[in-house]
Amino acid sequence: MSNKIPVLFSIGWNACINCGACVAICPQEAGFISPFDTIAVDRPCDIACLLCEDICPVSTITHQQISLSGQGTEITTPGTPS
Amino acid sequence: MTTKQYDLVVVGSGPAGSTTAYFAAQAGLRVLLVDKRQELGAPIQCSGAISRHGLTSVGIEIDAEYIHQPIYGFRILNEEGLEKRIDYRQLKPTEYGEAEDQVPLGYVVDRRRFDRYLMRRAERAGVDVWLKTEGLGYESRGAAGCTVKVKRFDEEIEIQAKVLVGADGLQSQVGRWAGMQTHIRINELASCLQFIVDRVEAEPLLEIVTGHEWAPGGYAWVFPKGEGYAEIGLGVIPTMTDHDARWHVDHFMRSSFFKERFADARILEVQGGGVPLAAPLRQQYADNLILVGDAARHVNPITGGGLHTAVSAGEIAGTFLAELINNGVSPLASELKGYQDRWYEAMGRQMWRLYETKSEIFRIKDIPERNRQLYATMSEYFSPDSQYKKI
Ligand SMILES: Cc1cc2nc3c(=O)[nH]c(=O)nc-3n(C[C@H](O)[C@H](O)[C@H](O)COP(=O)(O)OP(=O)(O)OC[C@H]3O[C@@H](n4cnc5c(N)ncnc54)[C@H](O)[C@@H]3O)c2cc1C
Ligand code: SF4
Repeated sequence: MSNKIPVLFSIGWNACINCGACVAICPQEAGFISPFDTIAVDRPCDIACLLCEDICPVSTITHQQISLSGQGTEITTPGTPS
Repeated sequence: MTTKQYDLVVVGSGPAGSTTAYFAAQAGLRVLLVDKRQELGAPIQCSGAISRHGLTSVGIEIDAEYIHQPIYGFRILNEEGLEKRIDYRQLKPTEYGEAEDQVPLGYVVDRRRFDRYLMRRAERAGVDVWLKTEGLGYESRGAAGCTVKVKRFDEEIEIQAKVLVGADGLQSQVGRWAGMQTHIRINELASCLQFIVDRVEAEPLLEIVTGHEWAPGGYAWVFPKGEGYAEIGLGVIPTMTDHDARWHVDHFMRSSFFKERFADARILEVQGGGVPLAAPLRQQYADNLILVGDAARHVNPITGGGLHTAVSAGEIAGTFLAELINNGVSPLASELKGYQDRWYEAMGRQMWRLYETKSEIFRIKDIPERNRQLYATMSEYFSPDSQYKKI
């Protein structure tokens, strides 16, 4: 499942119902969460299994692939919601 | 930074946490119960159905404060709308009904009120309760106890405790703090969405609609919600569909045999969440730590119900920990295993059996046959003469 290229998730807060299903399915270690009962959106995810996007009842999680090149983080390809 | 001392710190004041805290305090322990929310139970992630037995067996009084609606039985429907009616008012009239000397089979509760009620029960038994308090981490010091770090209204506080109870629900971080194996598979987590609606008639029965067309991997439900409102929802397994739960609710409301019944529905609330249709955690304890309720995946894998199992496990956990600590036993993993053993005897064995039954059904590749089996199992499960011991 993992595509290995780290991703940065983005949540459509307008649709999100703060249900926490994305956190429940997330294989990350403790703490990969936002203050709104969702997965973290302020740092990259290096597992990139994208299961959170599959479980979301309102399909409001999307991602962008990022590459860690030169100085810091750079967004390379815009992701598509699955 | 302030430091405090307790026997138990319980993270999460849902049904599992508050019940654990209540029983521990009743038996004399000093207990701190924390929850990060400002209003327990909200936003609601639950339909609120629980049997009367589930409440009374752990001493929860039946109280109008938290009840939306009494329930007297079930309607199990197959994909085409064929129904099996299991009305306990007719099946067991000496016990169940609306009369003075009869009782309901169960209730649909308001989770905001219910969670607050259970927390208040714990609080009156002597538990200290802190809302707006998030558990951040813990460090085991072995026989000496553990240090739990919380943040309360932006203030970081360290608490010395003998045992930390992780009752932090399906999104549990407490188990991850201890490096426990808590990961759930995508084909065993149902993605759920439900609407509270006006203008949909519902009898005081829980309606369960099976069939891959409506809820692949799970089922759809229509529950009466009191005040003439109803709850329409469903859960789907993401690997069994290309659509999300929201699409499926829409499809169920517009295209199923209930489409005329739902035609006038007006949505009053939108709720959702994840329901594990999985086995309980293989290991629910570590040094100075146990998990209870959804955090330990104490959920019925056939029905997805986790309220009864949460409060029952809470009673076991609270009572067990009080015995352990009152007897001066070191709360190491080797001793806390006793909690899981007791839980296994009381309900764990049965949950694993239900998990096997559920897995067998969803292993069937042929969809019509799988539909038939799920309908038959659900109908059987809720019958008074069911071979399944209810949990
Ligand atoms: C859509 C849906 C419908 C359902 N319908 C039913 C039903 O009809 N009947 C039924 O029996 N079950 C139902 N369930 C399952 C049921 O809701 C759960 O099994 C039940 O809530 C589990 O209780 P709990 O106490 O273990 O966890 P929760 O109720 O999830 O409580 C966990 C608590 O921990 C708090 N918390 C989490 N992390 C922290 C932290 N770090 N610090 C502090 N506090 C924290 C949370 O704020 C929350 O209050 C449903 C679930 C869903 C998603
Ligand atoms: S699964 Fe979707 S709706 Fe639920 S909390 Fe995560 S982003 Fe929000």
